[in-house]
Amino acid sequence: MNKATLNILAVPSMYLLFAGLSGIPILSHAAQHKGQIQVSWQSSSAYPSWYAWGASVNRFGQGDDGVNISRALLQSRFELGDSWSAHSSVQYVPDPEAKVGFTELFAEYKPVVEGAYQPQIRVGGFYPKMSLENPDIGWSSPYNYGYSAINAWLGEELRVIGIEASIKRNGKRLVKPSLHNWQWVAGLYKGNDPLGAVLAWRGFAPHDRQSVFNEVLALRPTAGFMTPQLSKQAWQIEPFTEIDGRFGYYVGAHWSYQNRHDLRAYWYDNNGDPEVLNYKTGQYAWDTKFWSLAYKYKITKQTHVIAQAMAGNTAMGVSRGVDNDFDSQFILLTHRWQQFRVSGRVEQFRVQDMDHWAFDPNESDGGAVTATVKWRYSKSWRFGAEFQYLETKVANRADDNLPTRQIEQLWRLSGEYRF
Amino acid sequence: MQLTQQVNRVNKKLAGWQYGLMLSTCLVSPWLLAKPITVQVKDAGGEAVKDAVVWFESKQLPLSANTLQQAYKMGQKDRAFTPHILVVPKGAEVSFPNYDSILHHVYSFSSAQPFEFKLYRDSPQSLNFGNTGVVELGCNIHDWMLGYILVVDSTYFALTNGQGEATIELPDTPIDSLTMQVWHEGFANLDKPESKTFKMLPTSNALIYQLDQSLFKPKEDFSDEFDDYE
Repeated sequence: MNKATLNILAVPSMYLLFAGLSGIPILSHAAQHKGQIQVSWQSSSAYPSWYAWGASVNRFGQGDDGVNISRALLQSRFELGDSWSAHSSVQYVPDPEAKVGFTELFAEYKPVVEGAYQPQIRVGGFYPKMSLENPDIGWSSPYNYGYSAINAWLGEELRVIGIEASIKRNGKRLVKPSLHNWQWVAGLYKGNDPLGAVLAWRGFAPHDRQSVFNEVLALRPTAGFMTPQLSKQAWQIEPFTEIDGRFGYYVGAHWSYQNRHDLRAYWYDNNGDPEVLNYKTGQYAWDTKFWSLAYKYKITKQTHVIAQAMAGNTAMGVSRGVDNDFDSQFILLTHRWQQFRVSGRVEQFRVQDMDHWAFDPNESDGGAVTATVKWRYSKSWRFGAEFQYLETKVANRADDNLPTRQIEQLWRLSGEYRF
Repeated sequence: MQLTQQVNRVNKKLAGWQYGLMLSTCLVSPWLLAKPITVQVKDAGGEAVKDAVVWFESKQLPLSANTLQQAYKMGQKDRAFTPHILVVPKGAEVSFPNYDSILHHVYSFSSAQPFEFKLYRDSPQSLNFGNTGVVELGCNIHDWMLGYILVVDSTYFALTNGQGEATIELPDTPIDSLTMQVWHEGFANLDKPESKTFKMLPTSNALIYQLDQSLFKPKEDFSDEFDDYE
């Protein structure tokens, strides 16, 4: 089946899924569905994309410059009694092969409480809420089409399959009211062991492709994969799988003031044992830990600035044969004017090779400037254009006799229907 | 503001009806004449106070049936309670229309009327408010949403406008005790309105009321549709 046929089939299958979900024997009025179908044209990269075994960090690689359905999604909420609700996000991902899957599926406990302190629990598969760039439908960004390298990475490799508990302190409801709100978060999970692999072998990439549960991400077979040390590593990554049987954890804190300043600090540690390997799938457990700091400031009601910084380390293999430090930062300025939103983002990202396996260079760095205009034509129809200047330098491109540095100027036009 | 106009309109309608009754019975009853009173509320510093609720209570004031039977609405629009403050007479029925396309989970723990509703666009709910007092509203999904339903033992009430003025039409009836109550969301104790007692209807139709306490001034709220993501 070719890609176009799959694209055609994807939309009806979304509707079938919708119908299936609606049929779940829960009170039908106690469900709410929102959806999005986005069609895009984009200028493509000079190399095939990473998921097509290529050296490009652009989602739309060589030959992908047609018009395609860049995303279709259905986000649902089902009421399960007074304090519990179920949430699902089902996405159609067209590349490299069309597939439909869950990006999030979890139950949430959020009781109505008297007083300022509210406990909350999430159980299932979901994103930790460490970022402020992706608050729109299906964890997408209302600002730029392509997410920052930080959040593109979280979207493709990070997902919690476990439990998260939090306590929120609502300042307004304190005996002595305060404009400061707090939330303290802790999560415990399994899976997500291969987290960090794409940073090591591809590097950071700003894009908007989110992995669904059971996703398999292709890797370009670099020279390192041909060595005995990495011979057991598959040329693909299954990012949400459990390898070593150990629990991972994260802790975070949210602070907000007057709904104007928002700060989120997280420490995430998948607690992987880098020497453990699943021989069948060719997946190692990576020991990946990082901190993330996100900040949003509403200069006015229309003009907001969002920034995020992340730094951490990831390692796999015997004696941490692959051992990399990584960091990235971005700052985003967005302005809403009538039915238009203009957003600009500047970012940089870097992976530093800290190990002695010289046959497997993991060094990469780069940066991007992204400018986006979005137009809300009506409640249902939205259109927009994006330009991205992207510069990347990836050491292992030399394995294929490609220049390590690549400069790209990428255009994208998108139209979407929301319901 | 809108509510003030609505109340005034109701009172005018009432006045017309009373006028008709007066003519038909050929009775010259002074209490049937409506007497508009404008109360200006000022804070301790002498500044006009907007969105203060002013109402008059007296056992001798006849209750206005029209005001009691109004269709009171506390809507949710653009993730905010609309109106922010709704004043209703004791026993009024209030409906909670959801004008947004998303779910709101409206609740209150106020002793006057604790309740909890999950409100979708297509599942309107309503509730009878039989006890006087302040009912503070919250939404369990949008934490910043805050609204008040003030249930008063009177059908003569209004909210102050930008100039701090509330105009209330009182029936010009002989009374020996009248209490003017004033409430503002910035009061330290929301369950304790300030009040002033009159031995008779005020002779002047323009009163000034200066608050005894300083107000906790809510700061501008910057919440928007993306603040759901918490």
